[in-house]
Amino acid sequence: MIRFEKRESTPASLKIIIPIVSVAIGILIGAIAIMFKGINPLRVYNALIMGAFSSRYTFSETLVAATPLILISAGLIVVFKMNFWNIGAYGQYIMGAIFSSYFAIFWSPNIPKPIMLTVMVIAGMIGGALWALIPAFFKAFWEVNEVISTLLMNYIALFILKYFMYGTWRDPLSHGFPLSKPFPDNAQLPRIMYHTRVNLGLVFGIIAVIIVWFILKKTKFGYEITVIGENPRAARYAGMNVTKNILIAMAISGALAGLAGMVQVSGIIHLLQIKINPDYGYTAIIVAWLAYLDPIVAVFVSLFLGGLASGAYQIQITMQVPFGIVNVIESAILFALIGSEIFMKYKVKFEFGKRKEINKQEETL
Amino acid sequence: MTATVSHHIIIVALLSAAVQSGTILLFPTIGEIFAERSGILNLGVEGMMIMGAFFGFVVAYETKNPYLGFLAGMLAGGLTALIHALISVTLRGNQVVSGLALTIFGLGFTNFYGQKWINLKLTVTPSQISIPLLSKIPYIGPIFFKQDALVYTSYVFAIVMWFILYKTKVGVHLRAVGQNARASDAMGVNVYATRYWWTFFGGLLAGAGGAYLTIAYAPFWLDGMTAGRGWIALALVIFAMWDPLNAMIGAYLFGGIDALQLQLQAIGVTIPSSLLNMLPYLLTLIVIVVATLIVRVRHISAPKELGIPYNREEK
Repeated sequence: MIRFEKRESTPASLKIIIPIVSVAIGILIGAIAIMFKGINPLRVYNALIMGAFSSRYTFSETLVAATPLILISAGLIVVFKMNFWNIGAYGQYIMGAIFSSYFAIFWSPNIPKPIMLTVMVIAGMIGGALWALIPAFFKAFWEVNEVISTLLMNYIALFILKYFMYGTWRDPLSHGFPLSKPFPDNAQLPRIMYHTRVNLGLVFGIIAVIIVWFILKKTKFGYEITVIGENPRAARYAGMNVTKNILIAMAISGALAGLAGMVQVSGIIHLLQIKINPDYGYTAIIVAWLAYLDPIVAVFVSLFLGGLASGAYQIQITMQVPFGIVNVIESAILFALIGSEIFMKYKVKFEFGKRKEINKQEETL
Repeated sequence: MTATVSHHIIIVALLSAAVQSGTILLFPTIGEIFAERSGILNLGVEGMMIMGAFFGFVVAYETKNPYLGFLAGMLAGGLTALIHALISVTLRGNQVVSGLALTIFGLGFTNFYGQKWINLKLTVTPSQISIPLLSKIPYIGPIFFKQDALVYTSYVFAIVMWFILYKTKVGVHLRAVGQNARASDAMGVNVYATRYWWTFFGGLLAGAGGAYLTIAYAPFWLDGMTAGRGWIALALVIFAMWDPLNAMIGAYLFGGIDALQLQLQAIGVTIPSSLLNMLPYLLTLIVIVVATLIVRVRHISAPKELGIPYNREEK
């Protein structure tokens, strides 16, 4: 018989062991999946690690992939703390990219760079925040399920992006491809590592993490959202304004996802197009969860999953291993992680003695 | 005279396509209704659907038997759902995250293994069967009763499941488990087994919806071709207020929107296609807001213990 016995307190070591074991399980399941395709998983993983961490350039690409994850997950941690399921970072990221691109495409290239970039940063954050506030309002006032509403908003954002890219925002010189005209120099975020694509966005990410950490640990708002997440009824009794907190938390979350979208177009691609990698919005959910909603731990998890993604882009080209393998690994990690949460709350006891007793009783019967 | 005749034909063709498109949504919506009625929130409908779509297509393609493909698709969806059942019932994990992981898994898995089949087309698809007498009814006949066997299966499913839910002991137990697991346990209902079974059942039907997509509605394979229909089905569960017959109305309504936007694109209306493509998602969003308000006004609620794990040993 397996029995679960309630723990008095969770041993701190489990908070380290479980994520590590979960990652190991994810990698193992990934290996099995690769084997079923008739490819040697060791070769794939070797190429993947080389593609993510082996040289200055490949590591810089890992940083490039980690940047949006750091920004988005910092925001998601704020809403997830209060058990509000923002699955809409994908759409908020797209809206951030659209709002900030407007200025890069339609404003004069002669505007001083600091002014232009400041405007784009603010626009990106406003775009993401507005997109997040729509489902937040639905939830706060009418209790509309936010998982479904934020997810539907993602599709709507994607089609708005397509509408602009196949419409008035398309560069006449793009030969019919859905691309905007290239951003002028004053709309490009400065790069901070020579000969790489690492840009100021990484600094934004670090600042965001520090701010979110401060909000969660040191402010009344941070305290309130934690209480609301753990015990909404108690929070209401204590006179906390749940509606207001939902709106503020979602505005922060959306603004950071929007900023990530801005960083992607202004710091990496230097134009607006349909393929701006909004999937970071989903990966960041895994980051937040794997970090147990700790914004500082999330930075390291972002580096890990960013490396996994950038390595996978490499092997997709060099070894024809489809990118989906990353999603298989990520989902296996998630399953293992949430499947083991029970061990944090309960001790597992294998009681062979009792079974024998039962058997004996059966025998005597 | 000829103008009215051709209008008539277009409208019937449109509504007939609406039923087919609605069938893709009807199966998963009914399945999720039953999973949620038992207290299990499975947000992984999209993931289970794409697994059903993929395995359904592959088996139908390799065996040239669409019905075998359909069964394989169902089974693929059901087995995927068992991961969710294990995590939410036995391990009492977070159902929201598990459902999302299921979606990530399904999309990743089918992308990883699906490359070989991309853009291949089925040569044998389910053939249309006219039901005697019924298919002769003006309008209703050609819309509802000149369909394939899988569409008829979905009608039967909706009606039988409605009956099971409201008129049988199984239905009473199922609803009791979702409302109050502890009391049902005291009554002698096996809460864990009930939840395992209906989560699995939800997966079977999500797989069926996905398989209908790749076997009958659009008989080819494309990466990620369920395109968010799993999320629309989740919204339809609320729209249907957890009732299988209401699910039919919702599914055909959305099937109609889907068929309409395709039709408008085909005849070359000047609205940009990106806005037409957006329509189903935008309307789903509006519908879920309105449905939530109606549900509140009419004091209908989701199953009371939806998403809450049950622990027998805890008082």
